[in-house]
Amino acid sequence: MDDSQARKFQKDLNAGLVALVLLAILERTAEDLYGYEIAKRLQKANEGEALFKEGTIYPVLRSLAAAGLLTSRVVPSYAGPPRRYYRITDEGRVTLRDWSDIWRQTRTFVDRFIEGSSA
Amino acid sequence: MSPNAPRSIDDYLQQLRAALAGQDPALIQDALYDAEEYLRAEVAAHPDKSEADVLELISSTYGAPEEVAAAYRDTEAKVKAALKTPAPRTLGEPSGLRRFFGVFMDVRAYTSLFYMLLTLATGIFYFVFVVTCIALSAGFAILIIGIPFFLAFIGIARVISLGEGRLLEATTGERMPRRPVHPGPPAGWLTRIGDMLKDVRTWTTLLYLLVMLPLGIIYFIVAATGLGIGVRCALSPLIVLGRDFAILPPGVSLGMIQFGHHAIASPHTLLGSLLSMAFGIVILAAVLHVARWTARAHARFAKALLVETR
Repeated sequence: MDDSQARKFQKDLNAGLVALVLLAILERTAEDLYGYEIAKRLQKANEGEALFKEGTIYPVLRSLAAAGLLTSRVVPSYAGPPRRYYRITDEGRVTLRDWSDIWRQTRTFVDRFIEGSSA
Repeated sequence: MSPNAPRSIDDYLQQLRAALAGQDPALIQDALYDAEEYLRAEVAAHPDKSEADVLELISSTYGAPEEVAAAYRDTEAKVKAALKTPAPRTLGEPSGLRRFFGVFMDVRAYTSLFYMLLTLATGIFYFVFVVTCIALSAGFAILIIGIPFFLAFIGIARVISLGEGRLLEATTGERMPRRPVHPGPPAGWLTRIGDMLKDVRTWTTLLYLLVMLPLGIIYFIVAATGLGIGVRCALSPLIVLGRDFAILPPGVSLGMIQFGHHAIASPHTLLGSLLSMAFGIVILAAVLHVARWTARAHARFAKALLVETR
């Protein structure tokens, strides 16, 4: 499989997963996070090969906020431009639980075939 | 690394803008804001490296301008589809009559009418705000507080224009920015005030806020008059029946529009009042059409004056 096919597959997979990962990150932290901070946490958790570009998380954050799963506020920063901080809402927590269940089911289901074929 | 990879933040933003060409200006403003926030934070996080060195690595972390643009386009299409109020479902090509009265089923028509009524209040507020602050800025100009006062005034005017945009998007569905215009790199007061004065957006925003007063008065009068006549006509059978069954006290006026002692078109019979009701319903439908059309046109007007398109 050539590289561009692999990238396209990864991109299709990411479509829903980025939103799930962002909800999970914001659920685990007590404080509010802004885009750059979230991007850096992803980068740290993901040593080496980047699964997705950090620039792609911003539109997802915005759409999650538009859907009411996150709330956000702008805080002026003396070190640079104002920052938009995000926090998960109760609706977001419920959604995260649902999505996590779906993800676990999907993973088990897919693994059943992948493991079977390699065995 | 491609030969035309961005070497500076401005370069990057320009390429991102080019990659998003043709998209909604509000979407472009949001995307540029996000990118600038990230890039400036990234440069600030590496004080030991030059801007060009940091930008060299950007395409592998934040993503190249084309990749980022694609992400915004995809997400926008999905969000739009998810948030859009489904259009009233009609079987086949709706007839003219059905299209005319179908407006009663359109949520946007009611929110647009609400917006028209609201513009009187917002128009007065914007006008008073701008006129007061311009007068005070002129007065304070010779004092030391003149400059910070003017900066604060323009800053607040921008926040108001963002709020107005959100209100318009909520009532008419026209895509407006969800982020303010990025203030750019931190700079001294004099540079910032110079930039503000040079930015044509500053002046068109103030113009919009001023024009909202006359527009608000016109919108309010049209909406309130139409609603008043429509509702009054549509309810006339109730008044006639109320009189006939003596539920309403005698002496309740049946006059619909009165000039001195001359009442025009006041129905005294049930048949007359039913005709009047039909007339009222037609008026209400027309008012909703006018509201929908006005709000749509107004949103485009607001976008032309408030949203950046460089």
